[in-house]
Amino acid sequence: MTKTRSDEEKLLQAVAFLNAKVLGLILGILLGLVIFIATNWLLIKGPQVSESGRQIVGPHLQLLSQFFIGYKVSFSGSIIGFLYGFAIGTISGSLIGWLYNRIVNIRHRL
Amino acid sequence: MESESASLNNNKHKKVVIIGAGPAGLTAAYELSKEGLRSVVLEKDSVVGGISRTVNYKGYRFDIGGHRFFTKVRVVEDMWEEIMGDDFLERKRLSRIYYKNTFFYYPFRLPNALWGLGIGNSIMIVLSYIKSQLFPFKPEDTFDKWVSNRFGKRLYGLFFKTYTEKVWGIPCEEISAEWAAQRIKGLSLLEALKNALIQERPSNKDRVVKTLIDSFHYPRLGPGMMWEKVSDTVTSENSEVILNADVEIIYTGSGKVDKIDVLVEGKIQEIEGSEFISSMPIRELIQKLEPKPPKEVSHAADMLKYRDFLTVSLIINKKDVFPDNWIYIHDPRVKMGRIQNFKNWSPDMVPDQEKTCLGLEYFCFEGDGLWTMSDRDLINLARKELEIMGLVDAREIEDGSVVRMPKAYPVYDSTYLDAVNIIRDFLSQFRNLQLVGRNGMHKYNNQDHSMLTAMLAVKNILGGNYDLWKVNADQEYHEEVLGDKSIEPKDYKELSKTQPLVPVAVAQGEGGVEQTIISVFAGIDKLALALSVGAVSGGAIFIATILLILKGGSVVGPNLLLLNQYFIGYSVSIEGAFIGLGYSFLWGFIFGWLFAYLRNLLTGFYVYRVKKSAELSSFRDFIDYI
Ligand SMILES: Cc1cc2nc3c(=O)[nH]c(=O)nc-3n(C[C@H](O)[C@H](O)[C@H](O)COP(=O)(O)OP(=O)(O)OC[C@H]3O[C@@H](n4cnc5c(N)ncnc54)[C@H](O)[C@@H]3O)c2cc1C
Repeated sequence: MTKTRSDEEKLLQAVAFLNAKVLGLILGILLGLVIFIATNWLLIKGPQVSESGRQIVGPHLQLLSQFFIGYKVSFSGSIIGFLYGFAIGTISGSLIGWLYNRIVNIRHRL
Repeated sequence: MESESASLNNNKHKKVVIIGAGPAGLTAAYELSKEGLRSVVLEKDSVVGGISRTVNYKGYRFDIGGHRFFTKVRVVEDMWEEIMGDDFLERKRLSRIYYKNTFFYYPFRLPNALWGLGIGNSIMIVLSYIKSQLFPFKPEDTFDKWVSNRFGKRLYGLFFKTYTEKVWGIPCEEISAEWAAQRIKGLSLLEALKNALIQERPSNKDRVVKTLIDSFHYPRLGPGMMWEKVSDTVTSENSEVILNADVEIIYTGSGKVDKIDVLVEGKIQEIEGSEFISSMPIRELIQKLEPKPPKEVSHAADMLKYRDFLTVSLIINKKDVFPDNWIYIHDPRVKMGRIQNFKNWSPDMVPDQEKTCLGLEYFCFEGDGLWTMSDRDLINLARKELEIMGLVDAREIEDGSVVRMPKAYPVYDSTYLDAVNIIRDFLSQFRNLQLVGRNGMHKYNNQDHSMLTAMLAVKNILGGNYDLWKVNADQEYHEEVLGDKSIEPKDYKELSKTQPLVPVAVAQGEGGVEQTIISVFAGIDKLALALSVGAVSGGAIFIATILLILKGGSVVGPNLLLLNQYFIGYSVSIEGAFIGLGYSFLWGFIFGWLFAYLRNLLTGFYVYRVKKSAELSSFRDFIDYI
């Protein structure tokens, strides 16, 4: 005899799936915005004097250019940084979502 | 087409005998007459309406307990409106609890309750509530524990204990918790979540949600007016309602009921029929069968118990006594359980607007001290109790009368269900006999359910295949219905799910919403999220390290190397890439797991709160159903 499951049972047994595309998009936008805002924040703060006495803007954030070719701490750099951040966030988010769904599928044999 | 008209012709030859002219019996007769079928209704009393009758004493009308008309079953509502037309009044409800000389609105209103209880008492109530949440009674097997666990022991003692014990005549410690739990049995968690999510959206503001608690319908001259009208309608359509007709013997032959002997005005009459519907108490029905049923069945019938009820109606020479429709009397100093003010149900219940007719309700057992008291003593008791409570000055009481109603409540004790099942099993062999109604099925039903069983019984006579025992007696009435009449009330859909045929179309589109709610509140798989976040972050560090190695230079990746302050052993090298992957996987794993855990915990807490508050709100009018 099949027994109809109660609401509670249905809820308790339900496992959430992630929408990989949406998760990717969200992480992409967030990471892109973080880089964009961080870059422009340094620009607004203005240059600081280095040990050698030179005026430089955001020496540490500048290190991102090691991965993001073409990135620098400038307004146009902030847009390039946004695009890189967006791309990496989107890929990571989608990957997390995709992997999560695969694992859930395996674990719950759907 | 031909077979349809043939079955119609077959039906026309049927003669249906109905026992009892209460709501169930008369509804059956009414539905049959609509189908052009003749019926004979046998009623042992001199009036129709059964427990839902209205008594007329010198022009003052009163019910056997005030009868609200409210239902979620559309076909019943339609019949009520069809019969009563403009005489079906919509009334606002006002009722209070009387406790220690104080009135509390019921359902409770917080400021009024706190004010009435006083600061000290309110603090104690809150403390006892907190205690009940932290240290609930286990096991939760009796009524007192069940209610205390939800409201605190103190609130239970103030507002549930005395009244429940007055109504049922047994200590709350001996009442099963199941009885109270019935109230929330039909509660849908998904429905509650949906309401919680959709409630505050401004787009829904224009949907008028009216609660069945705050208002009800009432015939202008009481429920008796409804049943007198139904009786008049069926008799004008070739059916008969025979009053003072006490069913004495029910003759059964092979597989069916053959005929009935009825005592009318001292003479036995033989009534034959092709179909039989009974709304008389099951216990009596079994006792009146001929040949006698097996011992086991008779014994089961004897196990069915009832709680009885009497009303003392008093005519008061005062225009306004109190504004309520009724007052619950929780005060242990007096025996009465409830007072009705029938003028507030409908002004036409009294012939003189300068006067008031109160109905004082006493719950008792047939043959006990209250039941056997003379009418005069009962009126004196009622007078005295009104004075104790300070509600009426005894000198204003002009007159009074008493009505005793045996078997007002079928008792749900520990043996009743087995007994009913044995009887059902036995009676199922008689294919032309159907049991309907409240005592007819030993179900604690209101009018609407009694009527619905009768409607389905008629459909069965016409060829349907409904299981009357599946009509849900535990349905909650207090739930909200949408003002929009085109929407089928929720519980009728629930009801229809249990039936082989669906009398009224079911609204569509619920499944999608249900599915969405489940997916919104479904738990995140902690391990899956941990693994996937771990893998992606591990992969990111691995790729970043490899990229820097590929880029090369005199010093490879001096800045990424700083990671080794956290990832001990990490370096920008092939080996380091794997070490970084390991560390990063671990941290990603922990982060992902924690995220899922916290999200599930908070969602679970939200769902728990919604469920609790839905439970509490379904308990809002619990006392109405005691
Ligand atoms: C105090 C109180 C308050 C209530 N309040 C409400 C309310 O607010 N709203 C609501 O909807 N419902 C209310 N009810 C419930 C309502 O009264 C019943 O659900 C309804 O009357 C049941 O109808 P029925 O036809 O099944 O049974 P009954 O009303 O009991 O009718 C059965 C009939 O069968 C007759 N009978 C019995 N034995 C024989 C026999 N041997 N021969 C011939 N006839 C016989 C009886 O005389 C009676 O007329 C209340 C009940 C009580 C006790």
